Amino acid sequence: MKVKVAAKILEANDRIALENRKIFDGAGVFVVNLMSGPGAGKTSLLEKTLAKKDGLRIGVIEGDIAGSDDAERIEKFGAPVVQINTGGACHLDANMISDVLDDLPLNEIDLLFIENVGNLVCPAEFKVGEDMKVMLLSIAEGHDKPLKYPLMFQESSALVINKIDLAPYVDVDVSKIRKDALSLNPGLKMFEVSCRTGEGLDAWVQWLRETAGKHRVS
Amino acid sequence: MHEVSIAANLLEIVSEQCRKEGYRKIESIHLKIGRASGIMTDALLFAFDAIKTDSLAKDAVLMIDEIAVSGRCRDCGRNFTVEEEYVLQCPVCGGASFQVSGGRELDIVDMEVS
Ligand SMILES: Nc1nc2c(ncn2[C@@H]2O[C@H](COP(=O)(O)OP(=O)(O)OP(=O)(O)O)[C@@H](O)[C@H]2O)c(=O)[nH]1
Ligand SMILES: [Mg+2]
Ligand SMILES: [Zn+2]
Repeated sequence: MKVKVAAKILEANDRIALENRKIFDGAGVFVVNLMSGPGAGKTSLLEKTLAKKDGLRIGVIEGDIAGSDDAERIEKFGAPVVQINTGGACHLDANMISDVLDDLPLNEIDLLFIENVGNLVCPAEFKVGEDMKVMLLSIAEGHDKPLKYPLMFQESSALVINKIDLAPYVDVDVSKIRKDALSLNPGLKMFEVSCRTGEGLDAWVQWLRETAGKHRVS
Repeated sequence: MHEVSIAANLLEIVSEQCRKEGYRKIESIHLKIGRASGIMTDALLFAFDAIKTDSLAKDAVLMIDEIAVSGRCRDCGRNFTVEEEYVLQCPVCGGASFQVSGGRELDIVDMEVS
């Protein structure tokens, strides 16, 4: 016989994400889910942001398939950091975050970055309890990426276009990246930065500070 | 790429409901998968077959409806569906203001049990 199920396949994940979100809210932590393809510069952006944090208390959860290289890079800045190894999974999910919440001093953190596994597709689908998603795209990846991988561009609140110092060496049309990304997501906030030269990073940090600050007041 | 975790979530939801309602076996499961969900149906079928052994759904087949990306234009008011996984403009009038309404589904509709 036929029985109705009427369920979303990801509802278990969404439920746990909501619980995480409540814990973050309770501790006054603003949470950013940071996503990109492998090597676009997520950890580099975090290092640069930590160097400019100026009183803002930042914590980091590092998600990688294996290894603790990224957490070690963050630790050098004296920030509280936890490394998650997904053991093969291509994304972080809400449960993995829930498992490490006790390992972070949430009451001493204003802004928590969750650096997702390097992957331009899957992380965009799994809520982890974040207030917003931010994605990076390095210009070396090419200007066809928004239309080839639309989901992450649609889900993100901000797009950080990184490695603009490489512009003279790669055939890439940055204005096309901006135009297609904006067509997919008209509300998308965009930054062009270089984690190598430092260009554009002040505007990024300024915006981040304002966005996290607004959250705390409200 | 994460069809295995999607399949695992699916198996858990249907097994739980099957047990709770006192049935012994799941024969088929009807799903709606949006074309913009990021899930490839072939990979999902493969993953589900790999993990369903030893469960109430060990003989279950998946019946998948693929749902096209669709939306409604705020300029001309028309409803539309597109072939792509995304909408850049209204395919009727070319307008840039539209609401995407379908294509992200990852839903279980019903199942055949005994
Ligand atoms: N030229 C240039 N290189 C950069 C820039 N930002 C990062 N890199 C380099 O790009 C490489 C990858 O940077 P990561 O910060 O490790 O990238 P990631 O996104 O964290 O990588 P995964 O966590 O492995 O996905 C490193 O060799 C960085 O030094 C930049 O703005 N310009
Ligand atoms: Mg990294
Ligand atoms: Zn129209």
